[in-house]
Amino acid sequence: MEKARKFIFLGYERSLFIFVDSLDFIGGSFNLLYASICALGRRPFYFRLLVEQCYLLGVKSSSIVFITALSTGMVMSLQFGYGLERFGGKLYVPKVVGLSIMRELGPVLSCLMIAGRVGSGIAAELGSMNVTQQIDAIRALGTDPLKRLVIPRLLALIIMTPLLTVFADLVGIFGGMFISNAELFIHPDFYYHEAVMALKTSDFLVGIFKTIFFGFLIALTGCYYGMKTQGGTQGVGQSTTRAVVTSSVLIVIMDFVLTKLFWIFEKH
Amino acid sequence: MAEAKDKTPLIEMRGIHKKYGSKIVHRGIDLNVYPGEVLALMGGSGCGKSVLLRMIVGLEKPDSGTIQFRHEFIENLSEQNLVPVRKKIAYVFQYGALFDSFSIKENLAYPLREHTKLTEIEIHEKVLSTLDQVGLKGTENLYPSDLSGGMQRRVGVARSIIMNPEVILYDEPTTGLDPFNTQQILKIILKLKSTGATSILVTHDMTAIFSVTDRVAFMKEGEIVALGTRDEIKNSKLKEVSNFIHGETY
Repeated sequence: MEKARKFIFLGYERSLFIFVDSLDFIGGSFNLLYASICALGRRPFYFRLLVEQCYLLGVKSSSIVFITALSTGMVMSLQFGYGLERFGGKLYVPKVVGLSIMRELGPVLSCLMIAGRVGSGIAAELGSMNVTQQIDAIRALGTDPLKRLVIPRLLALIIMTPLLTVFADLVGIFGGMFISNAELFIHPDFYYHEAVMALKTSDFLVGIFKTIFFGFLIALTGCYYGMKTQGGTQGVGQSTTRAVVTSSVLIVIMDFVLTKLFWIFEKH
Repeated sequence: MAEAKDKTPLIEMRGIHKKYGSKIVHRGIDLNVYPGEVLALMGGSGCGKSVLLRMIVGLEKPDSGTIQFRHEFIENLSEQNLVPVRKKIAYVFQYGALFDSFSIKENLAYPLREHTKLTEIEIHEKVLSTLDQVGLKGTENLYPSDLSGGMQRRVGVARSIIMNPEVILYDEPTTGLDPFNTQQILKIILKLKSTGATSILVTHDMTAIFSVTDRVAFMKEGEIVALGTRDEIKNSKLKEVSNFIHGETY
């Protein structure tokens, strides 16, 4: 009985901690966002840093996005191919694969991979800078860490995640085409025609639009946890884990919310 | 408490109170810093010396009290309005706080690129001459990780003085350094003093305190309990001061 009571108390304590931590994150990240928006309009503008971050966060993520998208397209083709074959619907594979990659899997899986690679990188880099007083040094030298560190990362991911998603969509559809041809004997011309014809401009735009939010969330979460890191190397590790977990959870939640909103919008 | 009353203070701190949660760090500190002097803040660990130093450059805000630099109140200035102050007051961090992704040259060029309109050639020349000043000629293309701890701190000093600040704040500049690097840092402080720069040192290092400083403030439990010339402090009858200097527990 005593053990059960202790267990319940620990569960209650943990839930309370998560709740308070979530409120702390919401408040802190909104503060960071507000301060960044205010700093955005002030000189100097670090255009070179933005280009550098576009390369480091975006271009350098292309290989991980390529592998994820290719395997997703291939797996989708296999799964739907064997599943639909039983009902004589094998020829619908291109449409289903194209649509699901464009609207859902391309954006979400790419951004989850980017959250893992880039979100952790941002939190670890800024966290290390924080615990070694490099962020204090930026301030003490009369410059703004928001302008030098946060804004370039936020803008870079807002710009690069949609571009990476377009790349992921193309690679995913190509992966599906390859497996459809090799395993399901669907001709590439037919696949291409069916996959493209089934898609509307809105399917493409819905996927791309979502990734603007996802990129923003990944950067904001990474920067928030990085900038508030305390406690040396252990603190850096904790910030990195939290940044990845939080941004991944936010992507999944935001995906549902945005999908629902787009459905309502498209219906009308 | 001896103070150079014939001069107008460069920095005036009045009634500084600060606490973190339930821990009281400062309990009403009053301190004047005069132009051209080297002042040491001395005291046991956790007595609030470094926090006081950080307040002077706006890295921390007091809960109450005022800080004036050249008669301008700086305690409530925004980050943006602190920029002109930070151009005049340089901060040397305990471990250098060098940007580890930048080369030594880039580290030193950083404030020049941010705050001046010097050409790249002029910046290069200024970087080389400042590195020469701290005895680190030829290290400009290395990275912080290529240097020893003592050399990193000297680069930190070089980065702080490259803009010719009026005041230089040193946070434990010689702690953990070998005698050679300690002497190098002390020589730099004396060299800067001869140019008229004002320095404030947070330190436990008695060699540093009694070789380069003009005045010493002894802090205990968030208060300045003794303030005077280095000889006055050295010969202080206050038990906590003499015990601290002679390494005895109090």
